[in-house]
Amino acid sequence: MTLRSLFIPITLLLVIAFLIGPFLIIVAASFSAGETLAFPPQGFSLRWIAKVFTVESFRASFGMSLFLAIGGTAAALILGIPASYALSRYKLPGAEIVRTVVSAPIIVPGIIVGLALLRYIVVPFQVGITLALFLAHTALVLPYAVRVVSASLDNLRSDIEEAAVLLGSSRLGAFFRVVMPNIRGGIMSAFILGFVTSFNQVPVSLFLSGPGVRTLPVDMIAYMEIVFDPSVAALSSLLAFLSIGIVFVAERFLGFSRYV
Amino acid sequence: MFQNRTEALALALPAAIFAAAVFLVPVVILLSDGFRVPTGGWTISAYTDFFSNSLNQAVFLRTLRLGALVTIASAVIGYAAAFAIVSLEPGAKGKVTGLVVLPLMISPVARTYAWIVILGRTGIVNQAFQALGITEAPLRILFSETAIFIGLLQLFLPLMIISLISALENMPKDAIPAARVLGANWFQVFWKVVLPLTKEGLVIGGTLVFTGSLTAYITPAILGGSKVLMLETLLYQQVAVSNNFVAASVIAFILIVMSFAANILLKRVATARNKQRSQA
Repeated sequence: MTLRSLFIPITLLLVIAFLIGPFLIIVAASFSAGETLAFPPQGFSLRWIAKVFTVESFRASFGMSLFLAIGGTAAALILGIPASYALSRYKLPGAEIVRTVVSAPIIVPGIIVGLALLRYIVVPFQVGITLALFLAHTALVLPYAVRVVSASLDNLRSDIEEAAVLLGSSRLGAFFRVVMPNIRGGIMSAFILGFVTSFNQVPVSLFLSGPGVRTLPVDMIAYMEIVFDPSVAALSSLLAFLSIGIVFVAERFLGFSRYV
Repeated sequence: MFQNRTEALALALPAAIFAAAVFLVPVVILLSDGFRVPTGGWTISAYTDFFSNSLNQAVFLRTLRLGALVTIASAVIGYAAAFAIVSLEPGAKGKVTGLVVLPLMISPVARTYAWIVILGRTGIVNQAFQALGITEAPLRILFSETAIFIGLLQLFLPLMIISLISALENMPKDAIPAARVLGANWFQVFWKVVLPLTKEGLVIGGTLVFTGSLTAYITPAILGGSKVLMLETLLYQQVAVSNNFVAASVIAFILIVMSFAANILLKRVATARNKQRSQA
């Protein structure tokens, strides 16, 4: 073995250990039987995994995060698909401005978006926290929705819908019968990307919390500051396997990575 | 291309108006707070106040320092990792790339939390150090700049590796052998051949890592604690603890200026690369 042939396996081993190792430690720690978070785990039990499901605030905030991830992404797609269509198929006046405005939320740090919403939407207009979170998560996902859907529209030849219109279909009918079936993979990929982004998002939701209204990751940070037991590790492992599972299935059936 | 303007606007405006109302207008008002005098008129005194405070200076410099260090470290490790990955067989390459991307799907809270188990007083590192006799008392690694550095590096390294993999793959295959045949040593090969040819990938990855580190909240919040602050955790404290919205606006403006500057750089490099491609 020369030095060079050792370089590749050793580099890869170290980098992957650094990237994946901490996650494996969290998974191991969540099966611990002990009272505190520790590695190597003390014994083996499923008690912390079971405890996750009994903590009332986790259940409430999980429901909230799920609602925001599904509802916010759906709303972002309802706004984003027509906008992407206009951007890719029409001579749109001010196209660059529209593109910049809808994709701006990705550049501005989330904590600023959350604070701005709190001070200038929630307080002056007496908007409820849940609605504010919904608006914030929709705005957050919108850039991803427009980017992914635009990319799949740009990859689709536009003459097929022009042909449909020439053959007597309405513009709307052509969109739903010709364009939609062809960009379904892109739309579903945008949905999954939006879902994962929204679900894992912390800074936007930091200031947008009220009594009993919180997103799951914010709730986890609050919990780990008070309690040092393995339940956050258990919850982290469960969530990680959930998102890996979703992405794996998406890759298998949609070729997810082609779109994002 | 359809020509109907009314139709185009009807399709595009709902999204644009939503983003403007929910995002753009509130953010612009928030940013203007730091420049407004309560009795009317404009001033930059909030900025001079902010930077004359030594704690704020320390946080600002720490944020820049950590951003720079994480970017440099991720570039060095990223090149080594990307080199190793592109030299693999196609099948293995896909699998290893998958392992590198995998952490991006996991919640940053979960990924950061893991470091508490590793770096804490009774964590793995301290256990190992004491067992090996390197230290007697447990080291305080958590709640320090070192801990934040490690956390940020782990969070953002995949972005750098992915950018560099595609840059290395787009490099002409015979560039390295040609330079070797002509007598260049490995250092010269990297410095004079690989680096110029993968510069765009490095800049793209570097921008992502740098802006990500500057605007990170979760990592400094969990691994820095309430004492070792970065700009985002300072902003949070100013609002949640001190109720100082003017200072919050100042920090927000600084963060946005830095992210925008990095993004403009990114865009410029991307267009330069497209020009190069269309000329080729």
